[in-house]
Amino acid sequence: MFGREFYVDPSRCIGCQSCLKACEECDTHRGISMINFDFVDRRESIATAAYVCWHCDEPTCAQVCPADAIKKYDDGIVGSSLKPRCIGCSNCVLACPFGIPKLVPEYEQMMKCDMCYDRTSVGKKPMCATVCPSQALTYVTPETIAATRREKPVNTFWFGNQKITTKVYMMAPADAGEIAIDVADYTWEGENELVPQAF
Amino acid sequence: MSWFRKPSSTPLWRDEFPVHTADERYVNRRQFTKFLTLTSFGMLVGNVWILAKSALHRAPNYPRMPVAAADEIAVGGVKIFGYPTPGDPCILVRTGYDSYAAYSQKCTHLSCAVYYEKERSRLECPCHLGFFSITDGSVLQGPPQRALPRVALERQGGQLIAVRMEGESA
Amino acid sequence: MAKLPSTQEELSRRFGPHLNYNPPAGWQRDADKRGDQLVKTHCCFCGQQCGIQLKVRDNRVTGFEPWEEFPFNRGMLCPKGVKRYLQGNHPDRLMDPLMRTADGFRAATWDEALDFTARRLRELQEQYGPDSVAVYGGASLTTEKSYLMGKFARVALKTRHIDYNGRLCMVSAGTAYKAALGVDRAPNPWNDIMQAEVLMAIGANVGECAPITTDYIWRARDKGAKLIVADPRFTPIARNADLYLPVRPGTDLALLMAMLHVIIRDGLTDREFIDAHTTGFEKTAESVEPWNPRRAADVTGVAPEAIEKAAHWIGESRKAMLMHARGLEHHSKGVENCEAVVAIALATGNIGREGAGPIMITGQGNGQGGREHGQKCDQLPGQRSLTDPAARAHVAGVWGISPDELPGPGYTAVEIMNAIHAGEIKGLLSICFNPLVSLPDANFTREALEKLEFFGVIDFFLSETAAHADVVLAGSLQEEEEGVTANVEARVIHIKKAVDPPGNARRDSEIICDLARRLGRGQYFPFTEPREIFEELRLASRGGIADYYGITYEKIDQNMGVFWPCPTLDHPGTPRLFEGGRFFHPDGRARFMRLAWRDSGDPVDAGFPVYLTTGRVVSQYLSGVQTRRIGALVDQNPEPKVEIHPRLAEQHKINTGDWVTVTSRRGAITLQAMVVRTIRPDTVFIPYHWPGGRSANRLTHRTLDPRSKIPEYKVSACRIEKAAGPGGRW
Repeated sequence: MFGREFYVDPSRCIGCQSCLKACEECDTHRGISMINFDFVDRRESIATAAYVCWHCDEPTCAQVCPADAIKKYDDGIVGSSLKPRCIGCSNCVLACPFGIPKLVPEYEQMMKCDMCYDRTSVGKKPMCATVCPSQALTYVTPETIAATRREKPVNTFWFGNQKITTKVYMMAPADAGEIAIDVADYTWEGENELVPQAF
Repeated sequence: MSWFRKPSSTPLWRDEFPVHTADERYVNRRQFTKFLTLTSFGMLVGNVWILAKSALHRAPNYPRMPVAAADEIAVGGVKIFGYPTPGDPCILVRTGYDSYAAYSQKCTHLSCAVYYEKERSRLECPCHLGFFSITDGSVLQGPPQRALPRVALERQGGQLIAVRMEGESA
Repeated sequence: MAKLPSTQEELSRRFGPHLNYNPPAGWQRDADKRGDQLVKTHCCFCGQQCGIQLKVRDNRVTGFEPWEEFPFNRGMLCPKGVKRYLQGNHPDRLMDPLMRTADGFRAATWDEALDFTARRLRELQEQYGPDSVAVYGGASLTTEKSYLMGKFARVALKTRHIDYNGRLCMVSAGTAYKAALGVDRAPNPWNDIMQAEVLMAIGANVGECAPITTDYIWRARDKGAKLIVADPRFTPIARNADLYLPVRPGTDLALLMAMLHVIIRDGLTDREFIDAHTTGFEKTAESVEPWNPRRAADVTGVAPEAIEKAAHWIGESRKAMLMHARGLEHHSKGVENCEAVVAIALATGNIGREGAGPIMITGQGNGQGGREHGQKCDQLPGQRSLTDPAARAHVAGVWGISPDELPGPGYTAVEIMNAIHAGEIKGLLSICFNPLVSLPDANFTREALEKLEFFGVIDFFLSETAAHADVVLAGSLQEEEEGVTANVEARVIHIKKAVDPPGNARRDSEIICDLARRLGRGQYFPFTEPREIFEELRLASRGGIADYYGITYEKIDQNMGVFWPCPTLDHPGTPRLFEGGRFFHPDGRARFMRLAWRDSGDPVDAGFPVYLTTGRVVSQYLSGVQTRRIGALVDQNPEPKVEIHPRLAEQHKINTGDWVTVTSRRGAITLQAMVVRTIRPDTVFIPYHWPGGRSANRLTHRTLDPRSKIPEYKVSACRIEKAAGPGGRW
């Protein structure tokens, strides 16, 4: 919005969890962070990754919601669940391929990142991208990304047969096209098999 | 409702509950409530305006206007004049040697011009046969609901002067 | 008597640490937030001194907002900075001075507490001499207060023993840079990092200890810079290292000498620069001659090829920067280690230019400012020497005393504690320091504290050390008093006052000045506002190396900070030092030093076969007095864990989560294990932010670097064994 997009580069993450701390400071969240943070495998590596909601173009969470509680706004942001409508059924929690929505039991409501809508709708940066000391989460113009980073932004993912395009970009090696997670997405299983979409 | 939809592969419920706010067709509760409130407010404003107009209405200052000489018309004769402005037609009747009566000529039903029926000593409206008493303008028969407004007259020397309207609604 | 007045459990129950999770007025709706004021100031924690805005309402700090315009951090913050405001409005906050009783503490009036303090200090000095009392200051104090502590010790108390907790921090780097370059300061502004072509981070866990510097490094890499990381652990920034050197604890000097050896051997020196701008190169060359990569590999455990590569990358680059922090400096060879880094920079001509130079990463919030204006046992304001007659004359003149009244140099921080233990020092007044947690050999420290005849502490929480005090004077948080600090780049910045101290707590500077008055020296401490202290500091530092004369609060606000030296009011400040190869020694030349290898002070042997190294986690700051009271930060790392490599863990049948007793020649603690491949198999790591039975410093030793007197935290000897369950909490 206002010309800027959100870019996630897990290779820059240093695991400081500043994003979680800043996100949970929001008065709407009241101490609950909307960042999905992982130690990928702490025994083997110090690699960490922090993710926000990917704000998919066709959000799976919204499509499976039985209460019509998840909406995608004109600027592309997918809102968190609408308080009067969400029934806490966890359909979205189960359906999201990225595992973003969380059911918060004390409110019986799904909560997820809404890209700090109160900030981004008036031209400020989301809180996590503002505080991230390594800028693994960053909110800048596409021109800035192109000018400063060697990695390339990718926003197309394959989950099995489901192609997902997102508003948030993942930084990937320069020649990566689309991102597939499952090894099966890369396999070729004989004649007449469609070329795996992962290439 | 499905009979007027174009055929489509997406199920009806998807259309009616779209994910993208830009695609929403149905008015939501908030929009509807806003509309109700706005309309209601509009009506309030209108009514208040009418009330204000009524409360602020003052009886107009009526001019003193000579209408006719006392002997200008014969007994039982009439003279048409405009009072308080030329656009307000009135009728002067000499009911006796020394008695005169003047009323607005606009029938209080639908504003047709009333005439003096000498035989029956009353003002009659030809449109719908509304009859008015010559003594006080009250309705004798017919659709009019209100008496004819009366022009108060004063005799000054040989002149008949109209001084005000009486019984006129604001 | 400074034994604990009550049990640890009782003291904890009353004084904490308790965890603060929520903003003071709870979570707000937007409509409730109108009327919040935003105060542009800086973080109270580490030396990065990130710009931040504090939300203030009704004299309480209720939250934060990023300050994107401040150029150093551009809105970025680490988790400590985000949650910092929760240290205010805290149930553990000291609202009144405390006096010790038979079984605890009671609230007292200021008169009682201050009169008692002044009386006891005077009594001890009358009985045992002026040097029988010592003063501890700290490097998280504003520069005004650091200056005040130095003046207080020398002019009000007339003791020669004033030192500070930065003795545990920057003194190795400071001594080395002072000796080699003539000044104790990071030579380059941080923006230079982005211009470097080769970056080496040695003993610097940037991702956890200076997180904001990470973006600078990543941006350099975006432009093609190469990153070398030398650390016994694979720290978060190492994940993007182009070359990782797993240096054995205590052997950094061998690595650096071998790199120098290769640089000289392969003709990668900048002879022109060496000849034109330095002296003594032969001394260094001679020192490193025997240190070929193979020899260094045996000592350090780093492959010879890797050493060659690192040396070549730096030697062949015209824009190399070498960053170092406590990992390199917390050694009995800490000064030599830093001298070796500087020598590499000098030998390759990588100094005094954009993208070129050695960088010391100052750790504490005002580690730079707090070590410049007299809070050190041998220092006068302006980074002057206490033994220099001209310096003494100038400062005595500003202070209105005779130079003869100024004491000579005193003991350093650890030496003061040693002297307390030996009965030589009887009384201690301490501020901004928690030595029971932060000094090495915690058992020794506790014994020493228990011997004090008088112990007074200025603090805002009852720290573990303050629990031993006779009187605790309720002081102020950073957001409760105006002042300046100097960040890692020696950019002098403005700390704004956001709120008043709560209850009966007072601003630290008021407490010190009041105490000076009661000691009969009030005329030298007429200050009512920090601004007045700063005005005197400008004069006292004028003409010195760290010249603040040209700096005012307004100039700082207008320019987002002013880099010292700034000798006159129209001088713009000095972001980069040594441009044109001009150094701060009288002959304008930098000095190469003789480098001599020696072993660490606590060698491994059969009984203690494992290296122990200590350090930090990103969610905690120093001894944890503040950050162990903030709920979200404690949740991030609730307990210290001992990091053990799987190979070592397997020998002892240890898995992640098992209780492990780590024993050194000083003591033993039991912690849960974290079995990870991201550490050398011969080394274990424990973060030091916790007290008592979880304190890494129960294990560390009191060997000091002979020149800087810094303790050797980064290498000790220990043994590990699986334990049945948790150890005692205290």
